[in-house]
Order: sequence, then C-alpha cells, then structure tokens
Amino acid sequence: MERDAREEARNVIPEGTRYYLPPEAQARLQLTQRWRELFAAWGYAPVELPALEVYDPEHPLAERAFKLVDKSGRVLALRSEFTTALVRMVRTQPQLPGPQRLQYAGRLWLRDSEVGLGRLREFAQAGVEVFGASSPRIDAELLALAAEALRVAGLEGARLEVGLPSFVADLLDATGLEPEPLQRLHAAIDRKNTPELAEWIERYGVRGALADALLALPDLFGGPDVLEAARKHAISERARMDLDWLEEVLALLPAGLEPLFDLGMARAYDYYSGLHFRAYTPDFGLPLLGGGRYDGAGVPFAAGFALGLERVLEAAGLPAAAPVPDALALDAATARALRAQGLAVELAWTDDLDELRAYARRRGIPRIAGPESEVAP
Amino acid sequence: MTLSGFDWVVALPKGRMMADAYRIFERAGYPLPAAAGERELWHAGEGVAVLELRGGDVPTYVDLGIADVGVAGRDVLLEAGRDLYEPVDLGFGACRLSLIRRPDDEAPVRRVASKYPRFTQAWLRSRGLVADVVKLSGNVELAVLTGLADAVVDVVQTGSTIRAAGLVEVEVLARSSARLVVNRSALKLKRAVLWPLIERLREAARTPSG
Repeated sequence: MERDAREEARNVIPEGTRYYLPPEAQARLQLTQRWRELFAAWGYAPVELPALEVYDPEHPLAERAFKLVDKSGRVLALRSEFTTALVRMVRTQPQLPGPQRLQYAGRLWLRDSEVGLGRLREFAQAGVEVFGASSPRIDAELLALAAEALRVAGLEGARLEVGLPSFVADLLDATGLEPEPLQRLHAAIDRKNTPELAEWIERYGVRGALADALLALPDLFGGPDVLEAARKHAISERARMDLDWLEEVLALLPAGLEPLFDLGMARAYDYYSGLHFRAYTPDFGLPLLGGGRYDGAGVPFAAGFALGLERVLEAAGLPAAAPVPDALALDAATARALRAQGLAVELAWTDDLDELRAYARRRGIPRIAGPESEVAP
Repeated sequence: MTLSGFDWVVALPKGRMMADAYRIFERAGYPLPAAAGERELWHAGEGVAVLELRGGDVPTYVDLGIADVGVAGRDVLLEAGRDLYEPVDLGFGACRLSLIRRPDDEAPVRRVASKYPRFTQAWLRSRGLVADVVKLSGNVELAVLTGLADAVVDVVQTGSTIRAAGLVEVEVLARSSARLVVNRSALKLKRAVLWPLIERLREAARTPSG
C-alpha cells in the first residue's frame, strides 16, 4: 500500500507540465522548424538565451515567475518571457547602426498560469524582434511575417487584429488623472465594460470631447471604418500622429492581408509605444500570437511578436498517428543506402522474418529491405 | 456533439437568474430555445445553442471559447478572475458582497469563511489584513454563529437572512448584478452576430420591463 503510494508519487509530473509523445512531439518539432526557416528566410538570425535569469522585481512578470535560490543565496527566476530577456541581451552588445533582426524559440515557465486549454505552466514560444530601427515599414514587415507564420502552421482562417495602445495612452494621459483612477478607467476599457466606464468618467469629472472619446474606445473595433471613427476622437496632436503611423503601416501591407482592428485593445498600454497585434482563429478562444512596438522600453527602438506553440497546434488540430518510417532494413549497409536516398529507415533487431513482418504490419511500415532484395512485407 | 454549426453559443446559469436571462434576451429580440425536458444539458435553436451550467462554470466556458457569450453575476466574475469582455450590465440579480460579523464583534478578523475564497483573499490583501480564508459551499452564516470563523464574506440581497440570524452587515465590499460576458476572440471574429446582440441587450437593460 505504502509502496504503491511512493511509486505513484515518483510518476507524478508537476501540474501545468506534460509529456509530449511521438505524434505530438513530432508536430511540435516540425512546426518550430518551419517557423525557424521562415524567419531565417526573412533575414532573422537565431539567438539562444539562458532559461535561468537573475530575479528582478522590475521584470513585467516578476510576480508570476518561478524563483529559485542558487548556492550563493542569489534569487534566480526561470525565464517567463522572451522579449525582456532579448532586450537585456541586446543592451549588453555593441549597438550597430541599422536594424538588427533576431529570432528565438524555446520554453517559458509561469508559476500561476491558469491551467487549461493552451495554458500550461511550462510552454513554448517562437518569435522575432527587430531592434535598432523604428518605421512603419518594419511594423508592416512584422505583420506580414506574422500572417505568414500562421499560414505555414496551416491556419488559413486566422485573422490578425491590430490595436493602438499608444492612442489609448494619449487619451488617458489627457485626463490628467492620478494612477489609481487611470487604472480603473483602463480596466473598464479593457473589458469593454461601457456602463462602468461611463460611471467612472462621470465620477472623475472627465467632460466634453475627451469623455466622448474615452467612451467610444470600447466600441472602436471591427473593419477599417473603425479608423475613420477614431479620427473624430483624436483630440491631441500625438493621437493624430499615432493614427497616421498606423495608416502608413496599413498601406504597406501585402495584398490580401486585411487585419481586424480594436482601438480599445489596451492591455499593456504603458508598455507599447505604437501598435499592438494579436491573431485569432475561429472556434478557438485564445489569441495565437501577440506582438507590437515598444520603443523606449529598455532600448530606443524595438518591435516583435511571439507565437504560442501549444495554442497554434491546438487550433490547427493535432496529428492522429505517430510518424512511420519508410522502411525496415535487415542490415546496416542496406539501411545506409536507403537513408542516403532520403528515406527514414529502422534497422531490424532480429533475424526472425516472421516477427519482423508482424511488426511492420502493426506499425504500417510499407517496406522490408535486405542486402539482396526486397522482402515481401 | 459539436457546437461549430451554430452562429453563436450562449452559456446561462441554472437557478434564479435563468428566467431573467431568458426574458432579457427575448426583449432584446433574441428569443432563446426553451429546454425540452428537465434533464436536457443543452438545447439548440435557430442558429443558437444554449448551455445550462452551474453559475460558477459560465466564466470558464466563455473564457475557453466553448461558449461565445454568457450570463454571470459580477460576484461570480470577481471570484473566477477570468479575462473576459463584460460589455453589458443586464441589471437583474442585484446583490452585494459584504463582510458579515456578530453585532458586538470588533476584534481583528482572524478567520473568514466564504463561498468566494479568491475574492476574499484579494480583499484582505488590499487592506493589508492577515487572516485565514475557509472555503465553504453554503449556509456560510452558520460559520460565524458556530465560531468556525469570526467573519463571513457572502452575497447579500435584502439583508433579511443576516438580520434573522442576528448578524450585521459590517461593510459592502462589492456590488453585483448580472453581466453579459463575451469571449475575447469570439467578439472579434463574430462581430457581425455579437455586436448587434450587445447593442440590443444594452437597449433592453436600459428600459426595464413593465
């Protein structure tokens, strides 16, 4: 009885982590590889970052990261996000003139992630960043690359959605309110809770065109007509310039890429300095990727996006079967010859042909090959 | 069973809010299909599917995108802490989440019983108070009367239950009413269906039924 309990405890893996068995692990590997090749073809050079970081209370996810203590007593954190880590890395390197395009892929850990569909405590992302330059062309390139990354994942029906957190920030700043009231207004905008937003606006005495503009924000989502409506509420020079930038980006997008808009999307409005984007696909409730421009957050110019591997695979549908080799070879020389032709080949572990045939049938291996000839499967 | 054939899927809480929810959807011009039998777990109508759930499960179904929209009390949403759009205050189901104690008890709170442990914990933290939170499933007032806890955080509608138990409502921590919640990606991808629904429900919520 006690032995069983010990045995069980030994087999447990932590909540929010999981095993990936052959069909799924294969799909993860293939998709990551496809993304990496795509990013490389667009000129993004790979970097690797440590999974162990020095704990920093200023880190945006400091509260939610796993912490550990090393032998000197220093607190470390498991990597919880790539962007911050990349920004730190870039800051330590000599700054070369012109844009620096980087790509990454790897695992992340969060202590308190809600465990559920596509929400693990250990999860994987792949993504890109462009440092050292800021222009509508770069933003348009990132949107086009994000669309391409979804396409190579087989998500033809996915839509990108673009928001403009800086526009929200412009309007919120214009109220001149203290941080706490601002946070209340922001939370109501973020949840599209117009009734509550109206209450706060009245209570804090925000009036006139600014009040109208704030109240309009939650409803400013949909097609390109949203931008026209937003123009009416662009009450400051900065807000107008932010809209101009977004329209320049849109004019540079490849034909066929028509993003949705949500100008009330303002999750990290004090972090993004320009546009922010996500992607959705029908019948899947969570965003597949996220990114944007964050000039001034650690480095002067930066923008990028990250794709959630688990979410994209969940939305794309998982392969049903484990990969099957092309042939079963009876000896090493035959295996080498077939592999040289580009086939995936398993080597026989026994001379017992009946056993090998039964195995090949069960696995669905189409060919058994020996030094002289093919063997009927 | 598959829900992908429906234009939209709505999650409704079983119990007293159910009838009010049906009524306001009807008034907004979106009559929902009625349950054919007691044991039916979900029912299909013209383009819409209705899921009948325990109130606390509504935010989960909507957050994970199984249902596009749902009806849930703000008390339930505060406890669930899910990341949802909350565009309409439907008006019915008004209540408050309050701190309840014995009339003469002014000692520091050391142990709080509640059906809302997460909300209670967050409230304690926001006040800088340290107390144990005990999760209970019902008749929470009994916890104070029997000494299991020295305070209770619970839903109050009229306050008559509390008065009858000889307890007092010390402080209102949050006000609640039924809300329409919407999944974040569904609102964007099904805007043509969901946005008119939201506008009509806002209209219906502004003009109370006679």
